[in-house]
Amino acid sequence: MKKPFKLMLSVITSLLLVFSAACGSSNEQTSQPERDTENEQKLTGKLVVYSSRNENFVDPLLNKFKEETGVEVLALHGVEPLQLIEEAGNVQADIFISNDVGALEYLRMKGILEGFDAKGAETIDAQFRAEDNAWIALSVRARGFIYNKDLISEEEMPKTMEELMDPKWAGQFAITRGGNGSMIANVSALRREWGDEKTSQWVTAIKNNAGAIMQGHGDIRRAVGAGEFKFGLVNNYYYHQQLEEPTDNNVGFIYPDQGEGEMGVILNAAGVGLVKGGPNSANAKAFIEWLLKEENQLAFVGESLELPINPKLDPPYKHATKISDLKVQSMPLKELGQYFEDTKALIEKAGLDLELK
Amino acid sequence: MMNNKNNHVPQQQDVQVRERMSLTFRRLSQKKWMDIWHGNPPGIILFVFGLIVALIMSIPIVYVIWRSLFAGADRWARLLDERIPQLLWNTLSLTVAVTACALAIGVSLAWIVVRTDLPGRKVWQWLLALPLVIPPYVGAVTYIIVFGPTGWARDVWRDTPWLVRTFGEYPLNIYSFWGVFFVLTMFTYPYVFLIASASLRKMNRNFEEIARSQGLSTWQIFWKVNLPFLRPAIGAGAILISLYVLSDFGAIAMLRYVTFTAAIYFQRASFDTASASILSLVLIVLTVLILWVESWTRRKNKYYQTSNSFKEPDILSLGKWKPVAIFFVFVIFSLAIVLPIAVLTYWSIIGIRMGALNERFFIFAFNSLKVSGFASLLCMVLALPVIYLKSRYPSVISSAIDKLSYAGYALPGVIVALGFIFIFNNHIPMLYNTFYMLALAFVVRFLPQAMQAGEASLSLVSPRMDEAARSLGYPPWKVMFTVILPNILPGILAGGALVFVSSIKELPATLMLRPPGFDTLAVRIWVDASEALYHLAAPAALLIIFISIIPLRYMLRKY
Repeated sequence: MKKPFKLMLSVITSLLLVFSAACGSSNEQTSQPERDTENEQKLTGKLVVYSSRNENFVDPLLNKFKEETGVEVLALHGVEPLQLIEEAGNVQADIFISNDVGALEYLRMKGILEGFDAKGAETIDAQFRAEDNAWIALSVRARGFIYNKDLISEEEMPKTMEELMDPKWAGQFAITRGGNGSMIANVSALRREWGDEKTSQWVTAIKNNAGAIMQGHGDIRRAVGAGEFKFGLVNNYYYHQQLEEPTDNNVGFIYPDQGEGEMGVILNAAGVGLVKGGPNSANAKAFIEWLLKEENQLAFVGESLELPINPKLDPPYKHATKISDLKVQSMPLKELGQYFEDTKALIEKAGLDLELK
Repeated sequence: MMNNKNNHVPQQQDVQVRERMSLTFRRLSQKKWMDIWHGNPPGIILFVFGLIVALIMSIPIVYVIWRSLFAGADRWARLLDERIPQLLWNTLSLTVAVTACALAIGVSLAWIVVRTDLPGRKVWQWLLALPLVIPPYVGAVTYIIVFGPTGWARDVWRDTPWLVRTFGEYPLNIYSFWGVFFVLTMFTYPYVFLIASASLRKMNRNFEEIARSQGLSTWQIFWKVNLPFLRPAIGAGAILISLYVLSDFGAIAMLRYVTFTAAIYFQRASFDTASASILSLVLIVLTVLILWVESWTRRKNKYYQTSNSFKEPDILSLGKWKPVAIFFVFVIFSLAIVLPIAVLTYWSIIGIRMGALNERFFIFAFNSLKVSGFASLLCMVLALPVIYLKSRYPSVISSAIDKLSYAGYALPGVIVALGFIFIFNNHIPMLYNTFYMLALAFVVRFLPQAMQAGEASLSLVSPRMDEAARSLGYPPWKVMFTVILPNILPGILAGGALVFVSSIKELPATLMLRPPGFDTLAVRIWVDASEALYHLAAPAALLIIFISIIPLRYMLRKY
C-alpha cells in the first residue's frame, strides 16, 4: 500500500513545484510590456478578441499586433455572435472578428457594437463599413462553384445558383452543413433576392441533390480536387487555396449569375467590430487603427487568399478575379444583418441540418 | 381602566407564553438537532464548511433544472415531438450496445487471464487494463485517422485492385453508429475487466469442486457457478459503462453521432440555452434512473462467500483452445492499445519534426497543468470536511451532504458547464471567463474521486484519536486539520492525483468554459483534430496519456 502513495506524493509535490515556479515566471512576463518603451504606440495591458474566423488566419495577425505593440492578446476562437449578446450585461470581449457582415451588422443593430472614427477607415469603401464604423470589413469573398476540370468542363457546369435545384446534378456536388457562416449568408442573400418561399425550396433541393454535406469548405475543396465530386458550392478563396496545393489542383471556378438579367455573384466580407463597453476599450481602438494600416490590412487577409477590399492593395493571390470585374448582387452587404436572426431557422426548417449528424 | 388592565394581563400572559413557547421551541429544536446527530453534533465551523461544499456541488444542476422548467410549453412540446424521441433512441441503443459488448469482452478477458493458463497472464493483467489511460476522444481521433473516409485503410483499399473488384468502393463509414459503438467499447471494457478480475480472484474453489464432482463440465460450471457469483461485478461494471456512455461527449461528437450530451452541446453552441436545459433535464432523469436501478439491485442481490474455508481458485488448462484465447487477447490488445499508440506516435514524430513542440504547445501544457493543479488542490481541501463529517458525525444531514457532492460526478460535464455559465454570467460576473471558473467546474465534476480516496484512508484511523484530541479541548475542525489530516495525507494526495488526471483529460466543460487565450491540451486536441491537423493533435494526446499513467497503479489496486 505504501509504495504507490509515496510515488504519488513525490509526483504531486513535483507538480506543485513546477506549478508555483511557472506561476512566478508568468508574473514576470506580464510586467515586460511596461519596460518596452521603444514601440511607436505605447500600449500596455490586454486585448480580448473574440473571433469566428478561421483560427489559422487570425492567430498570425494577432501575434503581429502583440509583437509590434506589446499588448497581451487573449483570443477565443470559434465564438458565435450570440455569445456577445448573452454577455451584454457582463462584457468580456473588446474586439469581434467575423467572416460574416450579417453577424457584425446584427450585433450593431442589437447595440452590442460601438461606432468610432477610426483613422484609416476611409480606405475602405463605405458599403463595406457600418454607418458609424462600428464594424469595418477588410476582405471580401464571392460565392461560387469550384469544379474538377478532369470530370467536367466549364461549358457543362451550372452557371446560376438556381440551376443547383435541377435533379440532373443529383449526387454530383458537395455543400457544407447549414450552420456554416458563409452558407447562412448565402441563404440570407437569396432570401432578399427571391423571398422566403423560393429560398426554402432551393435549400431543400440542394440538400437533396448534394452528394455530400460536409463540415467545412476546406473539406469540399479537397474532395473536389481529389475527384470525389464534380463540383462544390464554396467561397472563391477556397479555389485559390486548392490551386496552391501541390496535387489535386486541376480545378476551375464559376462565378454564378453573371448573365444578362441575372442577380450577380453573392458577396460577403470579413471584418472587425468594436465591442461596446469592452474592458480594454483604448487598446481595442488602437487595434482597429493599427489594422487599418495597409500592411496590416494585407495581414488580415493573410493566408486565406481572399481579396482585400482596399482597392490600392494587390491581392495576395495574384491571379484572383477582381470584384470590380464581376457583376455583383445589388444588395448592400449591411442588409444581411436584418436576415441574420431567422435565416438559420429557415435553413433548418427546409431540412438542411445546421450541424452534421 | 379596568378594560385597560384586562387588556394588559392577557398581553403579558401572551408575552410569557410566547417566551415559554420560544424556549420550548429552542429546546425542542436543540433536542432535534442532537437527535439528528445521535447526540454528537459537529462544531459549527465544520458543519458550515461541509454545507458550503454541498451547495457549491449541487447549485449548477439545480440551476439547470430550474431553467428547464421555465423554458416554455412551446419549446417543451416541440422538443418532445421532434428531438427527444430520436435522441432517446440514439442514446439508449448506443448505451445498451456498448454496455453489452464491453461486458462480454471484459468478463471473458478477465476469465481467460485470471483462470486459465494463458502464457504471460500476469503481464496481460496489466496490459489489458491499459486502455483506461486513453481518453475515448483521443481513441476516436486515432480511429478516424486509420479508418476515416480519407484514412489509411481507405488508401490501402483503393490501391488494392482485387478488393475494389470484389467489394466495390471502400465500405467502412466510421462516422456511424457502428463507429461510435466500436470506439466506446474498446476504451470502456477495462472497467468491467478490472472489476470482474477482482471478483474472479476472490472466488472460492470449493463451490467449483462440488460442481465438478457432480459431473458438470467447465462450460456448465462457468454458467452455473462462476457467472452467478460474478453478477454483482457485472452489475457494477454495467452501471459504470452505461453512465460513461450517457456522459461521453468527445468521442461521440468527433464521430459525428448525436446523443443527448452532443445535442446539449450543439444547442448551447447555437445559444438555444432553453432547449439545452430541457435536454439536460431528460438526461438527468436518465442518469438518476440508472443510479436508482443500481441501488435497487445492490439491495436485492447479496452473494456471500464463505471466508473460513477459502481456497484460491485453480488454474484451468486451455488445451486446444489456447491459440484461440491468445488470438482473442491479442486482437483486443492491438485494437485498444497498439493501434492508437502507434498512430499517435507516428503523427507525433511528424509533428515534432515540423516543430509542433513550440512555445504555443508549452503554453497549452502549462494552462492544462495550472487549471488541473488548482482543481486538484481545491478538491483535496474540500473533500476533507465532507468525508470527516460523514465518517465521524454520521447523520441524515452529513449523508445528504455526501450525496449532494456526487451530483456533479454522476452527471455529464456538459450539464455542469451549462449550469456554470448561467450562474457565473448572471450572478458572479467577477469570476466569469476566468480560469477559476473552469477549475471550480472540475471540482464539481471530480470531487468524489478525492473523497473516495480520502475515505479509504480515514476508515483506517481510529475514532479514539479524535476523542482524545477532543477531550483536550480542540474544536472538531481543528481536530480534523491537526490530528486527522497528517494521518490520512497519503489518501488525500492520491485523490488529488486522480482529480488532476481527470481534469487534464476533461473535454466538454473545458470547451464550454475556457476563458479567452486559455486553451488547454484537451481543447487543442479537439480543435486540431477536427481541422485534420493530426501532427499538432498527436503530441498533446500522447502527453495526456503519459500523465494518465501516474495514478493507474492506484486505480488498479482499488479493484
